[in-house]
Amino acid sequence: MTLITYLGFILILVGLWGMLTNKNIIKIIIGFSIVDTGVHLVMVSIGYLKDRTAPILDSAVLKADAVNQVVDPIPSALVLTAIVIGLAVTALMLSYAIKLYEKNKTLDISTFKELKW
Amino acid sequence: MVNPIYIFILALGAGFLLALFDKVWRKLSLLVFFAALAGMAVISAQWLVSLINGGEVAMIYTAGFKPPFSINLQMGLYEAFFTLAVNVLGFLSGLYLLKRLNTSKVNAMVLLLMMIMGINGLIMTRDLFNLFVFMEITSIATFALIGINRDGKSLSAGFKYMIAGGLASVFFLIGTIYLYRFSGVLHIDSMAAVIDVASSRAVLLAVFTLLMAIVIELKPFPANGWALDVYEAVDPAVNAVIASGSSAGMLFALYKILPMLNESLLLILAAIGVTTFVASNVMGLMQDNAKRLLGYSSIGQIGLIVGVLAMFPVLGLELAGSSMILIIGGLFISHFIAKAGLFWLAGMLNKEKIEEWGDLKKRPIYLFAFGVFILALVGLPPFPSFFAKWQMVMLFAKGGQYFFIAMVLLGTLLEAAYLFRWLGKILKADVKVKIKVAFTQAIPVLIAVLSLLTLGAFASTYVPGGESLKIFYIPMLVIAVLFVLDFLPAWLKNTLIIAAMGYYTYDLLLGLEGYRFMFGIIFLVGGTLLLIPGYAYKGKRTGFYPFAVMMYTGLAGLLMAENTLQLFTAWELMTIGSYFLIIRGKKSKPHAFSYLLFSLGGAYVMLSGLGLFFANNGGSIDLGLLSVITDASPLIYILLVLGFLTKLASMGLHIWLPGAHGEAETDVSPMVSAILLKAGMFGLIIVMSAIQDPMIGKVHINYILSWLGAITVFLGNLAAIYQEDAKRLLAYSSVGNLGYVLFGLSMMTHLGWLTSITYALNHFLFKSLLFLAIGGVVWRTKTKNMYQMGGLITRMPISFISVLIGIITLAGVPPLSGFAGKWLTYNILLEKGWYAQGAVVILGGLIAFLYCFRLIYSVFLGQLKDEHRHVKEAPLPIIIPQVIMMMAIMVFSIYPGLILGHVGDFLVKIFPNGAINWQNGVAFTPFGHWDGLTILMITGVVFMMVLVWLLISNRKSQKVKQFNIVYAAERPSRPELTHVGYNFFAHYSKALGILSTPLAVNFWKGVGRSFHAVGDFLRRIYNGNGQTYLMHIILFVVVVYAFVIGG
Repeated sequence: MTLITYLGFILILVGLWGMLTNKNIIKIIIGFSIVDTGVHLVMVSIGYLKDRTAPILDSAVLKADAVNQVVDPIPSALVLTAIVIGLAVTALMLSYAIKLYEKNKTLDISTFKELKW
Repeated sequence: MVNPIYIFILALGAGFLLALFDKVWRKLSLLVFFAALAGMAVISAQWLVSLINGGEVAMIYTAGFKPPFSINLQMGLYEAFFTLAVNVLGFLSGLYLLKRLNTSKVNAMVLLLMMIMGINGLIMTRDLFNLFVFMEITSIATFALIGINRDGKSLSAGFKYMIAGGLASVFFLIGTIYLYRFSGVLHIDSMAAVIDVASSRAVLLAVFTLLMAIVIELKPFPANGWALDVYEAVDPAVNAVIASGSSAGMLFALYKILPMLNESLLLILAAIGVTTFVASNVMGLMQDNAKRLLGYSSIGQIGLIVGVLAMFPVLGLELAGSSMILIIGGLFISHFIAKAGLFWLAGMLNKEKIEEWGDLKKRPIYLFAFGVFILALVGLPPFPSFFAKWQMVMLFAKGGQYFFIAMVLLGTLLEAAYLFRWLGKILKADVKVKIKVAFTQAIPVLIAVLSLLTLGAFASTYVPGGESLKIFYIPMLVIAVLFVLDFLPAWLKNTLIIAAMGYYTYDLLLGLEGYRFMFGIIFLVGGTLLLIPGYAYKGKRTGFYPFAVMMYTGLAGLLMAENTLQLFTAWELMTIGSYFLIIRGKKSKPHAFSYLLFSLGGAYVMLSGLGLFFANNGGSIDLGLLSVITDASPLIYILLVLGFLTKLASMGLHIWLPGAHGEAETDVSPMVSAILLKAGMFGLIIVMSAIQDPMIGKVHINYILSWLGAITVFLGNLAAIYQEDAKRLLAYSSVGNLGYVLFGLSMMTHLGWLTSITYALNHFLFKSLLFLAIGGVVWRTKTKNMYQMGGLITRMPISFISVLIGIITLAGVPPLSGFAGKWLTYNILLEKGWYAQGAVVILGGLIAFLYCFRLIYSVFLGQLKDEHRHVKEAPLPIIIPQVIMMMAIMVFSIYPGLILGHVGDFLVKIFPNGAINWQNGVAFTPFGHWDGLTILMITGVVFMMVLVWLLISNRKSQKVKQFNIVYAAERPSRPELTHVGYNFFAHYSKALGILSTPLAVNFWKGVGRSFHAVGDFLRRIYNGNGQTYLMHIILFVVVVYAFVIGG
């Protein structure tokens, strides 16, 4: 576990804390983004190998020797995908927030309780 | 063969092109949309066909590498089946939504297509990260689809869903990345081969995190409030895809990662599943919002499937075997189709409260569909879930998982409770409006119904021992035909059914032996006879005949049953058929409901017994092995007997009977009272003749049963005397009568059984006679209260004679056949020496005189009421069977040997000792002898002497008019004033009132109330706040983790 991993987990917890304690929907979405960022950090940190470079083959990193020079490329690839998906989800959440605000003139999540039991 | 990858190519290609085509022409985009979905379904279908015929599993590798270095998709048997189901669901959902897709923006089409594609991916991919991607595609499409409908409820529910889904994704990613770290691969199968949760706490935590992500998506209790809100708020058509389609994808995802779990994780998963099943069904009890109720049911069903699936590896059952196809496949597909169908119906009706669903009543086809969906959800024949549950109980019992079975059966019973209560509300609703249904909305529902029926038929052949279910094929076909021909007039259907039943009886009866033959006479000959009153009904009598035949099919099935599967299938068919007959009565709603609950409850107790039997005889369903005594025999005996006693309505389990039999229609009352009750007795005979005399410790179980029988006789008869309602009086009398039967059987001697079985035949004769005669009176007078009747002897003389003959037989007075029963009872009391129980039974018999007297006095004697001065005799179709029954009683009274001799013959095989010795029609026992003909003649002579004396001495008497009477210087002006009818036995009520405290009723009411209270308490956790739901999820994961660490 590297420092980055710890940092990632701390971000996840901070984000969760934010999601649980803020009643404002926008703040909840921000909390969610922080959690997401934390997850991404954890993911990259898992693939990181000390003193290695980015897994991009060019003049600096030759194909023949790449195995010894670059970090594990798979987590990086996964993170890219996860970031894209996270972006989509965040965008969708924000559009929900807009619609909810238009309907109810409030962003307080505790007021949306007509559905229960 | 088309490469399965084209499923994705079709969906993605169409998805991008749709917007373009839409600019040109809406019809073109619709065409592309449906063509894409149809194409996807066809690809799955052809793979399914090929794989069933032994074709090879298709592996799709991407980017030119083999796994684990590339993303890999797989199309095997299960994938083909699941994707086919999902793609067909997608197509039908599109069809269902056609009208709205046509008018709304093109986005809806694209999103639906993406959602279906995402689910396909969830099912087919073998790569963990790819699974995540498809999970997100499905989720995002779902969120967006929910958002299209921009009402406040949908939006807030959708937002809660997004928070929960987002959290699940977080867990999924962390679990995935650490599993990659530990295994070095993302390919699930390669990963499962390397990962060992026992190796370190970190690996365990990684697997656990991944598991939790999938479990959260499967909506575990209590972390599922968001899902309930979604089901309540979102458009039903979208709900159909979420409840059936998305759940299918997530279940498949769970199935893929199962090999990574160790036993303790599997057990925890099973516990989560079953807890969810039971809890959501308890909470469903209090629900009155239709869609939210469907939500509770969906969550429960998915919990059940998760629980059962998790138990498979624990029990050492193959994760890819025929049991898995039958059990998981059966449970899954029943829920999949039925839930989609129910949400579609919800969309058609557009009614929020379950009370308002009565509109279905005016549309018999959709009412039928609703019934099919409910039966499939509960797991009743002939649907796949029935055979799935059956086989699950058998295999899990063999694996010793009795607690699991008990929980599943409890949950099922609770689900049946709210679903059938709902059905009852619809069947008894008072509606005038006829809903309009678009053709495109009708098609999906009808396809759902047909596929459930087809798959049920398939499951019935697939279940081990299924070939023995052939006996039901022809009757089930007849039932199907009857449903189709239900538009015919009642008299025509009645004639057809009598002809069919008559032929079937002739065909079947001669092949039966021993007690099966005796019961064949009651079930089939009696059943045919009791169809004759049906001619009295005008119109179509919609829905009567299919269910009548279903009930008789069940009864005939019992007669033929040679294995437990046949027995149980027959039992459930009989229960369903009779439920729908009973609920036809005007005020039958609550009574049919309690009948159903007791019947199902009893059936599940019985099913556990059959499971225990299966587990202890080396996995056989052969009923013949019941007589092989093992250590488990006493418990099997108790469970089976308890199951049958609910049908026999023994004291404590009887509370459903008075209402169910009393409120039923004129010809249904005798069917259920005179015939159906004997099914319980038939079951008792099967079990008792095999296991005979089991003991718990030093107590003979049969000794307890004898007391139960005696008390039932006493209390049943006592309750009968207090009834104001003539049909309820007869119903309570049946409780007492069947107490005799139980008492006789519990003796376990030749004479005891002889009495019991003869009594059963007698009871059939006199109880159908009485119910028909009283039914005829009720038919004419339009009241069931005896105090409103009186003096009807002059208006309805034949009915009077019927009742007279009936009560003489019932009371067991010479000369009629009922006396044979009494005489034998005294004999066996002497033989067995059970004097205490005997005294109670005899006292109960004396009480029977009271209600017999009340019945004939209040109804036929006394004063004729003004409003009845012109009533006519009951309709001829109701009279004819009565005449036949009376003749039968006469014959059996004169020649008791006809029955007794026959019954004795086969009883000798079970009880060789203590048989009756017959000489020229005279019965000899160690305690005396009895000659039916002589007794009849002596009684006849005495009767004639008294009659002649009366005629002579009454010659000079003067005829008295009705009001020609004065008392206390007042002349009564109305018949009511001279006819004591109301609270007839008030003095006994004062003296013995304490004995008729409805203890059992109060007890069962309390049980019902407790479940409702628990459900109401539990569901308060779903307070509607998205943050609370988030907290639920986090706490859920933490608590489960504590269990993982702890054990």
